Formats: sequence, structure tokens, C-alpha cells
Amino acid sequence: MIGFLKVIDKVSLTPLSILGLISLGVLPVVPPFNQEYLVRWLTMGIFLAAQAVAFDFTSGFISIVNFGFCAFVGLGAYTSAILVVRAELSPWIGLFASILPAALLGFLTGVLTLRLRGIFAAVTTFFIGLALMGLATKWVFLTEGPLGLNCPTLLKTSSNVPYFYIVLVMMIVAYIVLKAVVRSHIGLAFQAIGQNMEAARTSGINPTRYRIFNFTLSCAFAGWLGGFYAHYVGVLTPDVMSTAKTVEVLVAVYIGGRGSLWGGAAVAIPFLCATELVRSSLNELPGLNLVMYGLFLILIMIYYPGGIAQVYRKFLYKSKHPIPILLLKGSISGLQKAENEMLNRLAGLRKTE
Amino acid sequence: MTPHSEDRVPNIFHHAVRSAGAITIFIALVIMVASAIDKGPYIVVNTIVTGGMWALMAMGLALVFGVMNVPSFAHGEFFMIGSLVSFYVVTTLNEYLLRTSVPLLPVIIPLMGMFAACVAGCIAGALCEIMVFRPLRRRSQEQWVMNTFLLTLGLSIIMINGHQLVFGTEFKGIVSYWDFPSVEILGTYISFDRLFVFVLSVIAMICFWSFMKFSRSGQAIRAVSQDEAGALMVGINLDSIQMLTLCVSCGLAALAGASLLFMYPSYPSVGLGPLYNSWFIVILAGLGNVAGAAVGAFIVALFQILTTVYIGEGWGFVIPSALIILVLTFKPSGIFGSVVRGIHDK
Repeated sequence: MIGFLKVIDKVSLTPLSILGLISLGVLPVVPPFNQEYLVRWLTMGIFLAAQAVAFDFTSGFISIVNFGFCAFVGLGAYTSAILVVRAELSPWIGLFASILPAALLGFLTGVLTLRLRGIFAAVTTFFIGLALMGLATKWVFLTEGPLGLNCPTLLKTSSNVPYFYIVLVMMIVAYIVLKAVVRSHIGLAFQAIGQNMEAARTSGINPTRYRIFNFTLSCAFAGWLGGFYAHYVGVLTPDVMSTAKTVEVLVAVYIGGRGSLWGGAAVAIPFLCATELVRSSLNELPGLNLVMYGLFLILIMIYYPGGIAQVYRKFLYKSKHPIPILLLKGSISGLQKAENEMLNRLAGLRKTE
Repeated sequence: MTPHSEDRVPNIFHHAVRSAGAITIFIALVIMVASAIDKGPYIVVNTIVTGGMWALMAMGLALVFGVMNVPSFAHGEFFMIGSLVSFYVVTTLNEYLLRTSVPLLPVIIPLMGMFAACVAGCIAGALCEIMVFRPLRRRSQEQWVMNTFLLTLGLSIIMINGHQLVFGTEFKGIVSYWDFPSVEILGTYISFDRLFVFVLSVIAMICFWSFMKFSRSGQAIRAVSQDEAGALMVGINLDSIQMLTLCVSCGLAALAGASLLFMYPSYPSVGLGPLYNSWFIVILAGLGNVAGAAVGAFIVALFQILTTVYIGEGWGFVIPSALIILVLTFKPSGIFGSVVRGIHDK
């Protein structure tokens, strides 16, 4: 038991999250959820969750809102699609080849925003995203522009279930890798840079290196996810790169709580299902789901800027009851504390007899 | 006649001429003249008219950033509100006009539409201030710039989809405001509507400038943009100044939207193009610099027209974005210098 807890703690998962992931993994075969359109919603929800994890890596830790995030996703998607369609490669190779241009452009973006702070960096990434979208629209010889680029899918089945598992694996890999980086000294440096640049410099942290690393890694994952998107949906238009898509990811991250990688991921799936539900059930009122989520963003920003992660930290994380401690922290010290707690209670009960 | 005061005036002049702003204006004028020699007066005339159109919106955005420290990404939605209100006012009155004929009314209807749009913009701005910015200001001021940036994103989503929900996605446009024939200037034909827009924006800029310079409220706004604590000490009511600023800025944007109805029909996301344009201009000129925004509008208009004429239609997003990225990399405070407090905090 303790050995198991040690292992999962090393990959920064708690027992609660493992329970959550297992139940998520079983979902497509459980009766209310095994209809194709629901599995499709779940797949897109996990796709959004994975994007939220990569986005939060930049916005939560070095405090730069990468407003062109979906342009990087779209870049990976288009690269993979173009390689498969024009160079006749297999979609699986395209899936991994999509990492390269996105990582390269992420590196360049990191270099460009080096001396900029806060709003300037956000606006720069905004314009980079805009320029990428314009290029995708204009270079019709490469991308077929607004007519749409059709590309073959990863697998030959028409069922959504294998794609669900593929993107679930991708999300778990992204989370584990990024969380491992965050837990190391690199993550400490990120937090220092994000909170107070001068103090970080005084302490001897070179912000250049860390910023560039952060951008490159975040955009590499964005590109990878884009490759998946291209071969799941099968058709790409420049709209994939639009700011509206980045805002979707941003809303999920902010409601979930920035600075905790899992916040956006936990919120993304119910969020996407809720918006899809509203959209499909209220056909006479188009756009109501988007009004709701704009309203949500405003309410969270004004009244609860910490998001769900703040609720978690304030109420659940600090509870003294042994079962939440075991589930949520899953740490050895937590288990020992839980044991001590139980023993104390038993001793207390014995005393009062 | 001390040696000090003798050479002070030439020194300032020397310094001003060498500044980045003056050099850019000079280069822009040179390019304009060169293109006029190359392709005729079409580019020059178009630049002046288009620049006037964008100047109003850019000035509103610079004002909001300079005084309230809010990087508003919802500015285009006030443009959309203005065009929507103007459309409904003008078409309703035109239908009334079909039944009864009142002298002089056809000429006045567009003006009434624009005035109604301006009022609607002011009301929308006031609502945003009361319901969105004031609660945030009361709660916490840390990370103000980034938080309000995301808030305006949320506002933008609500307004775009609210429009779609209530008014539908069709393009609500008019062919032209007035039926007067085109005017010829230097060999180029300009439609009366566009000329009127230019004249209107010049008048609006003059009114705005005199308001800011000579009236008490205008001076109070300038005081708040320079130093908030100092303004408080002098007894300026910050809440009402912030409300006034937002009203003026959104009124300007709505006026721009109404006057451009013949060119940009009203539909949910009509505000996004003008929004990106205003941001190009404001970043080029320097955040918060209102006068710089007015001049920068002409420079960006020149750039866009040159791109369309020499490179082709549709590159309007790529090349100005590249230019803005260059400006942000090498001179983030903009060509005319930014006069905003609080950009460099988180």
C-alpha cells in the first residue's frame, strides 16, 4: 500500500485523481455514455482538458497569457495534415511531426517576448496568432484556405471510442510531464519569475532561459494536440487558429484556477458537456451557451479569481479528517498523520469512558 | 538674456525633431509623396479619409487605457452597438418617411441615427463601468491590467453572442446614408458618405480636444491619467471620472460604428476588424497616448492601403501584425511614447 502510494506520488497523482481517471476511462462503455455523440463530447472535452494543462503551464507559472495558443495548435494540425496529404506519410508520423514547427515557433515567441511583461507579452502573442491565421487563410496553395483541408484520420474506424482513449493517454502524458517539470527546480524558477521578476533576477535566476523553455514546452504540447485534432476531425479550416478557441481554453483554465495544472483539466470536461448540452437543446436560442460562459468568466474574475483550485485548497486540502487526507494527498506523511489522528481519537474515546 | 534661456528653445526643437515620432511622421510623408508620384493621388486621398475613420476609435481606446488602465478588448463591441442602433433608427425613420414626406428630414435622419448611436454607446459604457469594473475595483486592485483584460474578453463574448441571440446573424446594412453624388478631389472620386465621415471625425477630434483642454471635467480626466493619488488629493471624484471616461470612449466608438454603417453592415462580430485596427494603432503610437493615437491612425491607414495596393487584398492581417511585432520587440513603448502608469507591474 505504501509502496503504491510512493509510486503514484512520484508521478504526481493522488489516489483521488487515479480514481477519477479510471472512472473516466470506463465511461465510454457504461450505458448512458456509450452513445457515439456523447463519446464525441467526452473526447472533445478531454482534448480541451489537455489544452488547458499546456496553457496553464505558461499562464499559471510565468504569468504570461499565451493569447495565440490555438494558433500553435492549428500550426501543429496543419503541419500534420499537409505532411500526410502532400507527402503521403502515415497519420501517426504526422502526429509526432506536428510537435516540431510548433516548438520552433514557441521558441521564437519566447525570444520575442523576452523583454516584455504582462499585457505587452499577451498582445504580442495575440498578434502572432493573428498573423498565423492570416497566413493559413492566404497560402491557399498549401492549406486550401477557408475551403478546408481534408486529411485522413488516425484509424479506419468510424467509432469515437479509440480516439477517446488516445486523447486520454495524451492528456495524462502531458500532465505528468508538465507536473514533473513544475515540481523540479525549474518550476520554482518559473514561479519566481512569474511573481516578481526583479527578486528572481536578484536571486540569480536567468529569466531568459526559463521563459524560452516554458514557451517551447507549452507550444510543443500544443502542436502535438493539434496533430491529434487534425486526424480526429479530418477537416481543417483557418478558424481552428482563431482567438475564440483560445478564449475557450482560457475560460476553462481560469474557472479551474490558474497555477494548478489540474484545475483546467478537471473543469474542462463538465464544462464542455454543459455547453454542448445547452447548445443542442436550445436550438432557437443560438449562442446562449457562449453568453453563459462569458458571464461565467466575468463572475469568476470578479468574485472568485482563484477558481476551483482555490475551493479545493481552502476546504478540502486542509481538512483534518483521515479519509480526505488519504484520498487527496495520498502521501506517506498524510497516511501517517491519518493513522495518528485515528489513534488519537481512539485514545480520546478511551479516556472519556 | 542668460546663455541658458538663449539656447533652450533651439535645443527642445532639436530634440523633438530627432525623436522617433517625428522621424516616423517624416518617413510616412515621404512614402505618401512617393506613392502619389507612382500611382496618382488615390493613395493619399484614401489614406486621409480612412485614417480619419480609424482615429476616433483609436483615440477612445487610448483614452480608456490611459485613464482607467484597462486594455479593452471589448472596444469593437461598442462599434457594433453603434452600428446596430444607427441601423434600426435610420431604417425605422426611412420607413416613416415613405408614408409621410417631411422637408429636410432625409438629410437629418443619418445625423439622428449617429446621435442615437452615440447616446447608446455612452449608456453601454456606463453599464459596463457600474456592473463590471466598479465591483472589481472595490474588490482588489492587484494584477489589475491582466484581470481587466480578461474581463473585457468576457464582455466581448457576451456582447457578440447577445447580438446574435437577440438580433440574429443577418447583415443589417444600408446602401448609403445620403443620395448625394460623389465628390471629386484631385482626380479621385469619393462618395459623399465617406467624405462626411472624415469631416465628422475631424469635428469630433476638435470637440474632444477642446473638451480635454478647456473644460473642468476634461482637465480632471487628464489629471487622473497622470497621477491617480494626486487627483484624489486635489478632490477629484475618481468614480465619476472613470465613468465619464468610459462613456466618452464608448460614445466615440459607437459614433465611429454608426458613421461607417454604409461600409460595415451590422452583424455580431463586425466589431472585431475595427478592434484589431485600433489595437494596431494604439500599440504603434504608444499605449495611453491619445494624441499619438490620432496621428498613428493615419500612419496605419497608409500602411494598410499600401499593402492592399502593392501586395494584394487580404494580407491586411499578416503584414500589420508583423509590423506590430517588430514595434513591440524594439520599441514597446510605442513611437510617440506611452504615458500609462502601471504597465510594468503585473
